[in-house]
Amino acid sequence: MKKILIPISLLLLALFLPELVGRNPYFTGIMINVLMMASLASAWNIPGGYAGQFSFGHAAYFGAGAYTTLILLSGNPIDPLLALLAGVVTASLIALITGSIVFRLRGHYFALASIAVAEIVRLSVLNLQFTGGAQGILLSDLTFHGIDLNSKIPFYYGMLMILVLSMGTTAYIQSSRMGYYLQAIREDQDAAASLGINVALYKNRALLVSAALSSVTGSLYGLYIRFIDPGAVLDLRLSIEIILTAIIGGVGTIWGPVLGAILLVPLAELLRSNVIGDTLISMGIVSDVSPVGHFFKEGLAHAHVLVYGVITVVCILFMPQGVLGITRRRK
Amino acid sequence: MLIIQSLVSGLLTGGVYALAGIGMSLVFGVMNVSNFAHGDLMMLGMYLAYFAFTLLHIDPYLSLVLILPVSFLFGFLLEKLFVSRVIHHPHQNQILLTVGLGLIMSNSALLAFTSDPRILTTTYSSSSVMIFSDVSVSVPLLLSFLVTCAITALLYLFLARTRTGMALRATSQNREAAQLMGIDVSKMSAITFGIGTGLAAAAGALIAPVYYIHPMAGHNFLLKAFTVCVLGGLGSVPGATLGGLIIGVVEAFSATWISTDWKDVVVFMLFLAVLLFRPQGLFGKRGGE
Amino acid sequence: MEPLLTIDQVTRRFGGNVAVSGVSFSVMKGDITGLIGPNGAGKTTLFNCMTGYISLDAGTIIFEGRRINGKRPDQMCRLGMVRTWQRVKPLGKLSVLENVMIGAFVTTASPKVAGKASLEQLQAVGLDRYADQPAGTLPIGLKKKLELARVMATRPKMVLLDEICGGLNHAETESVLDIVRMLRKRGVTILFIEHDMKAVTSICDRIVVLSSGEKLAEGTPEEITSHPAVIEAYLGGGYHAQG
Ligand SMILES: Nc1ncnc2c1ncn2[C@@H]1O[C@H](COP(=O)(O)OP(=O)(O)O)[C@@H](O)[C@H]1O
Ligand SMILES: [Mg+2]
Repeated sequence: MKKILIPISLLLLALFLPELVGRNPYFTGIMINVLMMASLASAWNIPGGYAGQFSFGHAAYFGAGAYTTLILLSGNPIDPLLALLAGVVTASLIALITGSIVFRLRGHYFALASIAVAEIVRLSVLNLQFTGGAQGILLSDLTFHGIDLNSKIPFYYGMLMILVLSMGTTAYIQSSRMGYYLQAIREDQDAAASLGINVALYKNRALLVSAALSSVTGSLYGLYIRFIDPGAVLDLRLSIEIILTAIIGGVGTIWGPVLGAILLVPLAELLRSNVIGDTLISMGIVSDVSPVGHFFKEGLAHAHVLVYGVITVVCILFMPQGVLGITRRRK
Repeated sequence: MLIIQSLVSGLLTGGVYALAGIGMSLVFGVMNVSNFAHGDLMMLGMYLAYFAFTLLHIDPYLSLVLILPVSFLFGFLLEKLFVSRVIHHPHQNQILLTVGLGLIMSNSALLAFTSDPRILTTTYSSSSVMIFSDVSVSVPLLLSFLVTCAITALLYLFLARTRTGMALRATSQNREAAQLMGIDVSKMSAITFGIGTGLAAAAGALIAPVYYIHPMAGHNFLLKAFTVCVLGGLGSVPGATLGGLIIGVVEAFSATWISTDWKDVVVFMLFLAVLLFRPQGLFGKRGGE
Repeated sequence: MEPLLTIDQVTRRFGGNVAVSGVSFSVMKGDITGLIGPNGAGKTTLFNCMTGYISLDAGTIIFEGRRINGKRPDQMCRLGMVRTWQRVKPLGKLSVLENVMIGAFVTTASPKVAGKASLEQLQAVGLDRYADQPAGTLPIGLKKKLELARVMATRPKMVLLDEICGGLNHAETESVLDIVRMLRKRGVTILFIEHDMKAVTSICDRIVVLSSGEKLAEGTPEEITSHPAVIEAYLGGGYHAQG
C-alpha cells in the first residue's frame, strides 16, 4: 500500500503546485524546467542507468523533437500533436542509425559515437537553410484546441504528463523481462548473451524508447519556449547536464533522475539569478565592492556549470551510486 | 595546384591533431581510460601560450619549454589525485570523472578569462612562405608542424630507448603481466597521464597562434582527438600519428571542395564510418569487440 | 545412440598461433564427455567457437543435425546449448535469484513464472538461502554453483562446463559433481572441461584429449588413462603419483 501511497501523494502535490505558488510565472517556469530535466534524465536512464550504455548525445533526440515540431508548425496549420509525432519519428531514426553503428561494439565506443552523432546533427542544423541556421526558429502563433497557450500553466501540466509517461515507461520496463535483460547487459555482456539475451537488440530497444521520450520532451519545450536555436537545444552541454541529473540522483532507479532534477535545477537557478550574491551582500556578510563580493555578484551567475563539474567529480569519487544509489528494487 | 595547397596545409594542421591524438591514445593504451578532459587540457595550453606571450613576452614556440614540464606536472597530479581512484571502476565512471574535470577547467577559465576570444598575434602571424611556384605555407603552421615533428620524435625515442618508456609500452601491452614483472603500474599511469597532458597542452600552445583562444575551445578539439585515436586504433601511438595527418588532410580537402561549414561534419562521418567498417582502427591494439 | 553434437575439422587461429587445429569429435546424447588437456591446449577456445563468441577459420559444427557456424551466443542458448565460464561471470549487482531468472527468461517472459522456476533451481543446487544476496558477494565456490543454476534454468539440451571445479576444495568439488550428475539424470548432455583427473575419470563416459590445439586421443576413461601418448604429453608421472 505504502508503495502506491507515496507516488500518488507526490502526484497530487505536483497537480496542485501551480495553485500553491499562486500561478506565479517565475516559479512555474522553474518547475517546468525541473519536470523537463527529470523527464530527460528518466529517458536517458533507460539505456544509461539500466543497460549501462552512457549516451553523451541525448541533446540530439531532444533537439530533433523540438526542431521537427517547430519547423512543421511554422507556416503550416497542422495539429501540434501530429508535429510532435513527427519529432518522434525523426528522433527514432537518429537512434536507429546510431544504435546500428555502435551497439555491435562495446565500452567506450558508444559514448564516443553518441557525441559524434549529436555533433553531426547540431552542425547540420546550424548549416542548413530550412532549419534556420544559427538564427534558430521562431514560432509566432500557436493554437491548440482552444487552450490559452500564453500562460505557462498548460505547459506545466504537459511536462508533468510527459514525466509521468517517462516514469511509467521506466517502471513498466523495470518490472518486465526487458528490465532484467537490460541490467544483465549492464553487468556483463558476455554472460548476458550466453543466457539467451540478444544484446544488440535490447540495447537498440532501450535507446529507441529513450529517444522517443526525449523527443516528446523536446517538442513540448519547443512549443513552450517558441524559439529554439542549436546552442539551446542541441548543445553537448545539455547532453552532459542530462547525464549529471541522472547520476546525481542515482542511475538505474525510477526516482533517481527526478530527485536529481529537483536538486540541480533550482541550484542552477539560484546561482544564475544572483540570489546568493545579493543575499550575502544585503546581509552585510560580504561587501559589494570587495573582490569576493564581486565574485559572488558577477562570477557566480556564470558558475552553475562549474558547480555541476565539482558535483560530478565529488559524486563519482565519493558516491558513484548517486543519492539514491542502485537500490534493491521491486520490493 | 589547389590540391597540393590543400594537402600541404592539411598535413601541417594534421601534425598538431596528431600530437593531441597521441597524448590521448597513450593514456588509453596504458590506463584504458578515455580522457574526456583532453580538449580542455589543450585549451589550458592555449591560454598558457597566450599569457606567456602577452605577460612574459616569450615566443609561443619557445614557451613550450615551460609549458611542457608545467603541464606534465599538472597531469601527474591530476592522475594521482583523481583519475587513479577510478582506474578500476567501470569506464562510464572514468568518462564522467574526466568530463567533470573538464567542466571545472573550462568554466574556471570562463570565470577567470571571460568568454571573449583572444588572439595571439606574433610578428610572423600572417606571414607565409612560398614553396614550389604557387603553393604558400603559413609560417606559424609550418613552425607548429616542425615543433610537432620534434616532439613526436623525442616521444618515440623515449618510448623505444628509455627504461621508463619500455615499461610504459609493456604496461600498455598487458597491464597484469607488466605488474607481475615488477613494473610499478600505478606510477606508469601517473607518468602517462602527465605525458598525455603535456602533449595536449603542447598541441594547444602550437595552434594558439592560428586559432581563437577561448574557454570552450576544448569541445571541438576533444572530438577531433577522439577521431584521430579511433582512426589510428585506440591505444596505438603510430596509429594516432597517421590518424592525425589523415584528419588534417580530410578537413582541408572538405573545406576546399565542400565548404568550411561542413568540414567537421565530414570528419565525424569518417569517424562513424571507421566504427562501422574497421572498429579496431588502422593499427588497433584492442579489437572492435 | 546418436550424436547430439559433431565437431568436424574445426580450426581457429590467433595471429600465427593455431589455438585449435583440425579437431573432430562427437558427443552422444545423454553422455558426459570430458575435454581435457594442459593449459593453453585450446579447450576454452573450442567452447568459444561452439557458442558463437568467436568465429571459426575452418570446419563445421553440427548440433542436433543443424550446422551452427556463425550463430550468435544468444541463438545458441535458445537452441539449447549453454555454457558456463572458466572465469565466473556473475551479474554482480543483481541478486542470486535474479541471476537465475535471467536464464529462466529463455522459457518465459513472465518475471513471476521465471522467479518461481528459478527458486526451484536454487533449491536444487542448495543456494536458496542466498536468493536475495547480490551475486557479486558470493564466495567462489557458490559462484560456480550459481553458474550451474543459471544454466539449468534455461532448460538446456546440452551444457558446456568450463573448469566448473577449478579453484574448489575437495568437498566443494564433490558437491558440484553431484549437481552435474543430477543434470545428467534430467537428460542433459554434458561436455566437461576439467583439470582434476579424478573428477573426470569418475564422472565421464568418454574423454577427448587436446594438446597444443590438436586432438591427441579419444576414448573411455580406462582407455585414456592407459593411453601412452596421453600419459606422456599430459598426465606425465603426476597422475600416477596422485593415485
Ligand atoms: N582472444 C585470444 N587472443 C589471442 N590468443 C588467444 C585468445 N584466446 C586464446 N588464445 C590463445 O589460444 C590458445 C588456447 O587457449 P585456451 O583455449 O584458453 O586454452 P585452454 O582453455 O585449453 O587452457 C592459447 O595459446 C591462448 O594464448
Ligand atoms: Mg581454459
